Amino acid sequence: MIRFVATRLARSLMTILAVMTFAFVVLRLSGDPAKVMLGPDTPREAVDAFRQQWGLGQPIWAQYFHYLGAIFSGDFGMSMRDKSPALQLVLERLPATLIVTVPALILQVTIGVSAGVFAALHRGSIVDRGVIVLSILGFTIPSFVMGLLLVLVFAVTLHWLPSGGSGTWAHAILPVITISVGWIGSLARFSRSATIEVMGQPYIRTAMAKGVHWSDVVWRHALPNAATPIVTLVGFMVGSLVAGAVVTETIFSWPGMGRLLISSVANRDLAVVQCIMLLVAAMMVCTNLIVDLLYGWLDPRLNARHEN
Amino acid sequence: MNAILNAENLVRVYRARRGPFAKVHPIRAVDGVSLNVAAGETLGIVGESGCGKSTLGRMLLGLDPAHEGRVLFDGTPLPPLGTAAWRRSRAEIQMVWQDPLAAMDRRLCVAEQIREPLDIHVIGTARERQDRIEELMGAVGLRKDQASAFPHELSGGQRQRVVIARALATAPKLLICDEPVSALDVSIQAQIINLLRDLQLGMGLGMVFISHDLNVVRNLVDRVAVMYMGRIVEEGPTEAVFFEPEHPYTKALISSIPAPGRLLDPDLIITGDPPDPANRPKGCAFHPRCSAATEQCRHDAPQLRPTAQKRTAACHLVGTSTQSATT
Amino acid sequence: MSIVSPGKRKNVLPLSVGLSLVWLALMLFLAFFADLLKPYDITTMDLASRLAPPLSSGHWLGTDELGRDVLSRLLQSIRVSLFIAFGATLISAAFGTTVGFLAARFGGWVEQLVVLMADFQAALPFLIMSLAVLAFFGTSMWLLVVLMGFYGWERYARIARGLALSANAQGYAAATVQLGATPSRVYLRHILPNVASTLIVSMTLSFPDIVLMESGLSFLGLGVQLPETSLGNMVGFGRDYLTTAPWIVLSPAVIIMLTTLAISLAGDWLRDTLDPTLN
Repeated sequence: MIRFVATRLARSLMTILAVMTFAFVVLRLSGDPAKVMLGPDTPREAVDAFRQQWGLGQPIWAQYFHYLGAIFSGDFGMSMRDKSPALQLVLERLPATLIVTVPALILQVTIGVSAGVFAALHRGSIVDRGVIVLSILGFTIPSFVMGLLLVLVFAVTLHWLPSGGSGTWAHAILPVITISVGWIGSLARFSRSATIEVMGQPYIRTAMAKGVHWSDVVWRHALPNAATPIVTLVGFMVGSLVAGAVVTETIFSWPGMGRLLISSVANRDLAVVQCIMLLVAAMMVCTNLIVDLLYGWLDPRLNARHEN
Repeated sequence: MNAILNAENLVRVYRARRGPFAKVHPIRAVDGVSLNVAAGETLGIVGESGCGKSTLGRMLLGLDPAHEGRVLFDGTPLPPLGTAAWRRSRAEIQMVWQDPLAAMDRRLCVAEQIREPLDIHVIGTARERQDRIEELMGAVGLRKDQASAFPHELSGGQRQRVVIARALATAPKLLICDEPVSALDVSIQAQIINLLRDLQLGMGLGMVFISHDLNVVRNLVDRVAVMYMGRIVEEGPTEAVFFEPEHPYTKALISSIPAPGRLLDPDLIITGDPPDPANRPKGCAFHPRCSAATEQCRHDAPQLRPTAQKRTAACHLVGTSTQSATT
Repeated sequence: MSIVSPGKRKNVLPLSVGLSLVWLALMLFLAFFADLLKPYDITTMDLASRLAPPLSSGHWLGTDELGRDVLSRLLQSIRVSLFIAFGATLISAAFGTTVGFLAARFGGWVEQLVVLMADFQAALPFLIMSLAVLAFFGTSMWLLVVLMGFYGWERYARIARGLALSANAQGYAAATVQLGATPSRVYLRHILPNVASTLIVSMTLSFPDIVLMESGLSFLGLGVQLPETSLGNMVGFGRDYLTTAPWIVLSPAVIIMLTTLAISLAGDWLRDTLDPTLN
């Protein structure tokens, strides 16, 4: 088990390093980093000071280590527009993004998985058919279209909810729904097929033949086994949550990290872009690591294999 | 002797490593094996898992080159693997595999599977190939309407029939079967064994039949060779070996076959685990598990010597005359 | 590819798949002949009739805020979006398959490198990575196609590597060699067709994803740039007029949805016909 954890940890660190290297290379390739990070109308002395600070005159491998050191100490450069440290800017916007993404994640997982499992256990019923149809709709309608439709219906036509901005919790409702809808559909479909497959396994029939109560069969035998493939989806989900946040915050003018990213890309405020990219990567790597460890713990077959 | 196949002192060594930091162990998977198969004769090769019989089968085909020794087919040495001559020789030597599903390209239907060797070796016209396919399908017991079925739509027994039909398409002189019925149900095993026997009689094929299942082997082969840790420890006509086994290993194997109404003889039950090929015991490879082992057995490896009419055994305790122990 | 023997069962074409194929054929036709079909140039402005609703005179789908004909822009958008998606899918498949075969053939550090690249891809949501690249290098059509071309290559790589490895010692490749086939016969007639059908199915899976990805980027203003137009682009610019002139947003949105649905349905059916073992 220790070996498994250690190798996974090592791989995660390698990945983060790869992302940082990627950022470094891309930054160098896109032009003189000083000009790029500081903007065209920065005074000469500031540019020179920056060059000094970042060691831009030195050979490339020295710059690389300098860069890594800067990142690890939290220095991602200065935002061109705001003239404040990029990290600080990003962290300021982080809570707003969390307010929409975390509820979305909870909603996705609870509604999606339970709908799927329910549909699997009641095959052929209305719920089952409904789940299938809704899930197809869910992954066909892109999130930006969904967001606009929701605005059209709930804000413009019904006037129940505001169409954008932030301030009250009512402002957060549509963004949360927009982010979660697509994944509710996918999770429902996936949970449904995972549960169906597990229920068809011989050990379920054995349990029932032994006289185990139906609910025990479901809760103690079927679901823990169905959980494993579902857990692997979690990694993808978290990644797409971030992507979903970007689009949704734009539609609803929600002042989160996603909108900051878009405006930074449009303005070529590369320090901020780099900062967000690295933070997101770090978060994803951690999530994938946790998912892998969880997966290894849940499925004893994998444990045994890794112990050899 | 009109032997279709001669194997002389075949040796094949694998270099295996326990872990990335352990020493490299050479493992002698096949360690000096010689055998002959005559036209129209079936030779069985039996042994436990890991004794090297599958490797030996591949060496007889030429799929695994021999590190020492050589294989003669119809009097001439086998061409090296990968040459055009080797490919041509496939029309004469064919193989029946253990897992028929894995041995077939899943995209091709039955007729296409059987047709492939005919296409490769350019045998006959299109019409003639079609006729041959029908003839072969009938010979192995497949129905005509199964010609368009796919491997995954057939049962295990039917798949193996397809593999056999495919192997026989070019009318080979030698057929090597590596555990062809191990993956099948017992009732189907009997059918396939009977099929192989009928085909062999009808076509005058030489056959090598590799198996770990003694019951299966007994019903099919003319002569049997028993393998242990890469070497042949006993060889002879089937009934003789089964009725009066000479080598202690053979005795134990045969006595372990369950027979209704007869209790197993506790003295002959083999003790211990199958050996680790990387850790070969000194002297006779079987001595740690042999209840009759002597001091000599611990130091000298016995050679395969003739013990009776057409029989050989590799054991210090078996003499060339009457000292063969009977059960 | 697969050799059909006489008397083989014909697969019945379900209605939904038939409709999907018809729709896709229509989209391809429109994309090809967009130049001939569009009534106006995409930049022509009819300032007298701005924000005209559909079926107004001279404008089947109405006009946008600058008086540009929506139908013309829609046809051009279909062409641009499909072109990007096709190009990207092909690049992704070619790159992924090659990398997968190399990993299977050489193993060792080549394989480790590929695993690292795949891990890297998994660490960054594709949207975020695309945004970063676009920020650093600016937005050009070719960059966009190449960028989209990195979407989903891991899937092809994994398939190609898996199939190449499994067609060895115990598999049909070895059996075919034992039948006497030359290596080229083994590759061309057996391994490649087996890989191809799975690859094509994978391509139909990632094609709609790429369409959605490009639409998303264009919607955000960072994909296809003016004066060129794409489906996502149109939705993005039409956003401000959602209440006053919803047709500007709805027409490209409907096209996106129906096209991705059609590809998904057709792709599932294609998988069932090409690969008789999966059902």
